[in-house]
Amino acid sequence: MYNKVILIKDTDLKRQDKTRDFYTHLLDYLRENNLHSEILLVRVADIGVYDKGLVLKMLPDRNTYINVQDTDIKRIVDSILQGKIIEELVFRPKVKQHRIVLRNCGNIDPENIDEYIFSGGYAGLKKVLGELGQQKLIEEIKISGIRGRGGAGYPTWMKWNFAREVESDQKFVICNADEGDPGAYMDRSVLESDPHSVIEGLIIAAFAIGASKGYFYIRAEYPLAVERINKAIKQAYAYGLLGNNILGSSFNLDLEIRLGAGAFVCGEETALISSIEGKRGYPHPRPPYPSVKGLWGKPTVINNVETLANIPAIISKGGKWFAQIGTQTSKGTKVFAVTGKVKNSGLVEIAMGATLREIVMDICGGTLSGKPVKAVQTGGPSGGVIPESLLDTPVDYENLQKLGSIMGSGGMIVMDEDDCMVDIPKFYLGFCVEESCGKCSPCRIGGFQMLGYLKRISEGQGKPEDLAQMRRLSVAMQKASLCGLGQTASNPVVSTLKYFEPEYNEHILNKRCPAGKCSHLVTYSIVGDKCKRCGLCVINCPPKAISGDKEKGFSIAPEKCVKCGRCVDVCKFKAISKD
Amino acid sequence: MNKLSPADLEKMQKAPNGAPKDWIKVGMGSCGIAAGAEEVYNFFAEEVKKRNLQIDIKKCGCAGSCYAEPLVEVSVSGLPSVVYGTVNKEIATKILEKHVISKMLVNDCIFEVLI
Repeated sequence: MYNKVILIKDTDLKRQDKTRDFYTHLLDYLRENNLHSEILLVRVADIGVYDKGLVLKMLPDRNTYINVQDTDIKRIVDSILQGKIIEELVFRPKVKQHRIVLRNCGNIDPENIDEYIFSGGYAGLKKVLGELGQQKLIEEIKISGIRGRGGAGYPTWMKWNFAREVESDQKFVICNADEGDPGAYMDRSVLESDPHSVIEGLIIAAFAIGASKGYFYIRAEYPLAVERINKAIKQAYAYGLLGNNILGSSFNLDLEIRLGAGAFVCGEETALISSIEGKRGYPHPRPPYPSVKGLWGKPTVINNVETLANIPAIISKGGKWFAQIGTQTSKGTKVFAVTGKVKNSGLVEIAMGATLREIVMDICGGTLSGKPVKAVQTGGPSGGVIPESLLDTPVDYENLQKLGSIMGSGGMIVMDEDDCMVDIPKFYLGFCVEESCGKCSPCRIGGFQMLGYLKRISEGQGKPEDLAQMRRLSVAMQKASLCGLGQTASNPVVSTLKYFEPEYNEHILNKRCPAGKCSHLVTYSIVGDKCKRCGLCVINCPPKAISGDKEKGFSIAPEKCVKCGRCVDVCKFKAISKD
Repeated sequence: MNKLSPADLEKMQKAPNGAPKDWIKVGMGSCGIAAGAEEVYNFFAEEVKKRNLQIDIKKCGCAGSCYAEPLVEVSVSGLPSVVYGTVNKEIATKILEKHVISKMLVNDCIFEVLI
């Protein structure tokens, strides 16, 4: 039986991996001292600490030592035997993941309600029905300071309070699970991994406003999430947590799933309501807000998946506990789906106030290629691009807005120097133009025109005055569009214009794309003295644009080249230049 | 199933009696399934039956480290519970033979990322 386990990983990116050498040295030392049956050594694939040399982690104490040298072996083994800690080697991370929303994700079986209840589930609902009552419940949510996690950050208690105060024979609650940002999938993960926490949050929200009917609006592209929510609702009915007389009280609630067909605009609350009503997903001007006049003209509260998943934890542990986490204006935690050119893509839940750099570099291990980060995009198509120089900004609703981005639902896309800052807004704006419902002209026409400018710039036909014109258009779109989609569609353009104007000018004036992304502005050629004439590019070129032989060397025919970049990827000698 | 009362709920939240059982949990979110978790889960279920091992095979959702899917968490008495990443049939066999049967952690496959 092993009492202690040591995990070993060399995390230094620049050197050769020395995990194996150190493992052998340490094992030899243990064998010499006859300790190898007490202490188990394990090499691991990833230890969660990056660029800190050799990292050791002791189990079960979970101390982490960084920058460990061979000379440290003796004192480390001694300290383990004595149960002490070597202070100068201990790693104390500045930022840790703090899991509230993801508390059960990956721990419990999402298809088994008993496991959720065993991990403390539905205790919040019991407390609400038994002790708190409507007034105190909303008071507790007010103390917690939680704001909507869907993007805009509207205080949740205010939404609930408005809806509660309106007199009506029927009220509704809706869970907005229409997650459409490219690259964001935290709502899907929560629905799939912990569906009952969202259902419990929705039941509590319904109780707060006095609703007797609730809807899950989930996009049909999430079949597994739909299946698991469906199962979870059935289980909750069977346990009397939904239906009539919930937990023996006089409170009744019915839940139903509505599938969204995948239109991005249906994540906007008024369009979502239209969609549930069976109409075309068009947004409406506000006010009246849905809290007053929503689904079928009745008071309706719409909350995001992540907001609802927070509610049971707030009720169980108290609003004060929640208010301690986070910054002055933004309380609690936020889940980000970190994707793009990052080493460890996945979900990260951090307390508000952690910096973007900590998220990208410390938790996610920096870029995949090891190249420096150029920018981080937050908030999906409604958000902006934040340059590397501003990555030390603490994340909260206000700070991101000041930088010209938004928190959004939590997509975070990491870009390195191979990403072009004209190409990125072109992609996002293209998405918004495609998804625009077409009801109001600033969004429909403005977006289309702006996309035209971006396309021309990326093709090398831009004019210097285009930038000023794009800025004017973006102001018109922000001010005059009907809903959030149009108002924020220009954010990626505005923010890249703000931080990366030289890159736009390079495209317009010198007809050059510094990142080598805009295919019209790039020509591929083979650098003669770097080329080893292996012929790998010839085999891999899809349109067969590379000709020549191993004696004379190879060349690329520009008229045949489709600029796919395949040759650059396969060339081991970096002999293909893009310029 | 009967409708629950608040007292029933409280009772269900109490820890069950008896010694904790050994288990293997396979991450079965969309990300895990896309990376092949279903195959790994079925493999574990079959092998455990074949070898007559006393261990539960469970499903769970996504733990967040999507780059290392399929993730498999193993808890066996006498060893700390650890998470294995990018598990395929080959690693799954090692997990059963080394971790579960011989009580040794498998080298080079652990993802210890949650700090």
